[in-house]
Amino acid sequence: MGNTKAILVDIKRCVGCQACEQACQDIHQFPKEHPAHLSDVAYTFVDQRDDKFVRRMCLHCEEPACASACLVGALKKSALGPVTYDKNKCMGCRYCMIACPQGVPKYQWSKLAPLVQKCDMCFARISAGGKPACVEACPVEASVFGNRDALLSEAWSRIRSDSSYVPRIYGAEEFGGTSVFYLTDVPFEKLGFVKPPIGNQPLPTLSAAALSESPLVVLVGGSMLSALYWITQRRKLVALAEAEEEQHDSGKGTK
Amino acid sequence: MSGNSNVPKLTFWRTVVAVIFLVGIYATYLRYVKGWQASTNLTDAQPWGLWVGFGTLCGVGLSAAGFAIAAAVYLLGLERYRPVLKTSVLLSFLGYSTVCTGMLYELGLPWRIWHPIIYWNPHSVLFDVSMCVMCYTSVLALEFSPSLMEKLPYPRLRELYLHWHHRITIALVMAGTLLSSMHQSYLGALFLIAKGRVYPLWYSPYLTTMFYLSAIPAGIAMLIIALYLCVRSLNAQIEFAILEEFSRVMALLLGVYGVFRALDLLRNGALPYLFARRVETVYFWIEMLLLVVLPLALLSQSKVRNNPQSLYWTCAIVVMGFMANRLNVSITAIDAMTGANYVPKWPEFALTIAVLTAGVCAFRWAIIYLDIVPKREPLPTVKWVSSPAEA
Repeated sequence: MGNTKAILVDIKRCVGCQACEQACQDIHQFPKEHPAHLSDVAYTFVDQRDDKFVRRMCLHCEEPACASACLVGALKKSALGPVTYDKNKCMGCRYCMIACPQGVPKYQWSKLAPLVQKCDMCFARISAGGKPACVEACPVEASVFGNRDALLSEAWSRIRSDSSYVPRIYGAEEFGGTSVFYLTDVPFEKLGFVKPPIGNQPLPTLSAAALSESPLVVLVGGSMLSALYWITQRRKLVALAEAEEEQHDSGKGTK
Repeated sequence: MSGNSNVPKLTFWRTVVAVIFLVGIYATYLRYVKGWQASTNLTDAQPWGLWVGFGTLCGVGLSAAGFAIAAAVYLLGLERYRPVLKTSVLLSFLGYSTVCTGMLYELGLPWRIWHPIIYWNPHSVLFDVSMCVMCYTSVLALEFSPSLMEKLPYPRLRELYLHWHHRITIALVMAGTLLSSMHQSYLGALFLIAKGRVYPLWYSPYLTTMFYLSAIPAGIAMLIIALYLCVRSLNAQIEFAILEEFSRVMALLLGVYGVFRALDLLRNGALPYLFARRVETVYFWIEMLLLVVLPLALLSQSKVRNNPQSLYWTCAIVVMGFMANRLNVSITAIDAMTGANYVPKWPEFALTIAVLTAGVCAFRWAIIYLDIVPKREPLPTVKWVSSPAEA
């Protein structure tokens, strides 16, 4: 866990220059102009909230709902930290889009063989020891990249040394922890951050609770059905034997 | 005036079916050649829509009769239901076939529909659903197969198959009951992980139980409808007492479901939402009215239960209520939270109807040409007598 990678986004430092956004568009050969929301051609964008700029992107949850939902395991939490997507496994069921609390995975609705599109934290680059394109482009270090643990302590030390920060790191615990953290000097609630539906519990625990019952259902259900069948058969046999006996008796009577 | 008997006569319903298929073919062209945006109104905010909400959730749910009746006959020994056993298996088999066909439209990459067989993610509810549906559709195909095999013109092969089939029937029925119980409830579990994206009136940790409890009465309603139509139009001979008994079982199950749903809403703290001035509230009450209140009120009358036509329409209400529930969970509840404002595009409707119609045609064909259900002599039709007799 110690050396998984993460990104720290400091909203207080962000000047809204959108260099991160443009770097992301460039590296993925997405159009320069695009609507201001996440889409199949925008993995990150700078969301202006009054005078604050919030960079939206996939949070790369520690226990991602999307990866837990994906029936073929195309979405996966990699050992390195990013949640990655294997386009050769995906069958286009779009359950990940239902499951993600942030609505991050997007679909190529305009294509005939559409794929799911989401940020992979520049997995190829960081595997080779580099930085994500967006972080590299940031001129003011509002986005920084590093080991998750190191970034968390860096974030706490910024909070300690500057009392204007909200004393909370969004992503440290939310959804069971994420690999993208946010620091801010105005309340998170005012910046449109999603309130985690079950607090710091990872969302996959919700479906795990239901699925964990299935071996029990099979065992108990299977034995109950077998028992029922046995009783039914037994009653048939008894009824048959009784009928035969009766016939036998009545046969005797007439003799 | 008899005309050429090889040319099918153009009747009203044949015309309707032909139009449905023609429009369906055009919609298929739109879906596969022109793509998603030409054929659907699906968006990132509403990625599932009608094909999942109706095609999959309703299709699977309304096909629940097969396992219920098979379990009743084979495991509970309720031999009096045997005359309708094959019909219920046929109904379910065709129901699951339409669901699988619908998947070919619904999946973004339909040629990878087999992927779950080799790529496993046991943590995914959808993986479990797809495995169960795959296995259960095979079980249904096997359960149904004797109806086809007994028509084989080769006696030795036929006998061998039927003998072999007879020996595994109980295993099939047990597997079918378990598989059905699991995936009927897991369809509800699909939405558990989406907490926060499902409107509170439809979110509950007991979605699993509620999907299961509602699927069985809805499946029975569908079976009653199918049997009624077989008797009315296809010369089937079924004792009405069976349908009347089904209707009482259905009423009981709907009552249980209604109580469970009400208690769950109370427990969930969903009370403030029951009368909120929102459009979801209206959809919720329509669902409750059609699925619970009206059917229970109607089925409590023995007059309704004992009149085939009233019972038929009551079952139609149950089926509509069931559809309202599944569409509410999968569309209304998501729409309310993401603001997608989803209204299906016409090809979504057209393809849904076309696939269903194909299912109905196959059902009709099987009832007419296979020994699915006991038949009576067709009523004598009035024949026009040629002129000499008149004179």
